[in-house]
Amino acid sequence: MEGDCHYLLGNINARRRVEFVRNLLLEIGLEASRVQMFNLSSAMGGQFAEYAAKLTEEIRQLGPNPLRKDPLYTTETSTGE
Amino acid sequence: MIIAEQKPLDEIMGLLGSDERVLVVGCGTCVTVCFAGGAREAAIVAASVRMTSKLNSVPREVTDVTVQRQCEWEYLDEIKEQISDADIILSLGCGIGVQAIAERFPDKWVVPGLNTTFLGMPTEQGVWIERCAACGDCVLGITGGICPIARCSKSLLNGPCGGSEDGHCEINPDIDCAWQLIYDRLSRLGRLDALLELQPPKNWSTSRDGGPRKITRDDLRLAAEEE
Ligand code: SF4
Ligand code: SF4
Repeated sequence: MEGDCHYLLGNINARRRVEFVRNLLLEIGLEASRVQMFNLSSAMGGQFAEYAAKLTEEIRQLGPNPLRKDPLYTTETSTGE
Repeated sequence: MIIAEQKPLDEIMGLLGSDERVLVVGCGTCVTVCFAGGAREAAIVAASVRMTSKLNSVPREVTDVTVQRQCEWEYLDEIKEQISDADIILSLGCGIGVQAIAERFPDKWVVPGLNTTFLGMPTEQGVWIERCAACGDCVLGITGGICPIARCSKSLLNGPCGGSEDGHCEINPDIDCAWQLIYDRLSRLGRLDALLELQPPKNWSTSRDGGPRKITRDDLRLAAEEE
């Protein structure tokens, strides 16, 4: 959990860097929510699944990365629909 | 070292206008160690410009290269081919690097990607503070190694002013009062008597007030052929 990392304060430093990337995406003109960070311990499988589902849903709403022209990366293919 | 920070991407995009082939030039010295314009930042800026241009359907070809020192001709000459292939140069050097490129490549348009901010040092990782204003006539020898020109908001030579409060400067409580620092240090070293001597007005002609400055060292210059 935050501040309670195997690498001591590592996950707090990581969060600052993730914030940097999110701001960079905004500056570029992409949605910051394409990159998100969640704190979990290895014993929180249920929570992990919940976050993964939430993030997947949010990204699906945003649609494919507009910079990605490759048809392999459209939502349809990636979700197996 | 010279401390700089990156301009906002919006401003950089404005400076690039509609020029298609962009060369981002990083510098491997001061701006590398202050994380503003080294190889890593040049790659990030190049990628950001590429992505923004693509999102806005602006045709663009962006490459990046980093030289050891942008403020010396010999390092710039190493990338002259890349420079000649570009329509515009986005320099991530300090203001000196930008001008060195402009001077060395008279036919090339060059724009700054950084704001060159001050001469200073990191006091902790991620924090840089101004230390010297390059006044050209150093007074550190009478102020115990703490610069009143760069670090006192009023550049007082006989401080502190009446606004010094509990060690903080009146213009901003986040700023240490330089004169308090000077006093504390002289006191610790038993040299407070140095403060009894009034400092006369400083000769600012060695600073910016004397116009652009120049140092010539004949002992280092190479003799010209005809001499
Ligand atoms: S006195 Fe002048 S040269 Fe010395 S540190 Fe201050 S600004 Fe720099
Ligand atoms: S409070 Fe201290 S640092 Fe600020 S202007 Fe006065 S003497 Fe200078």
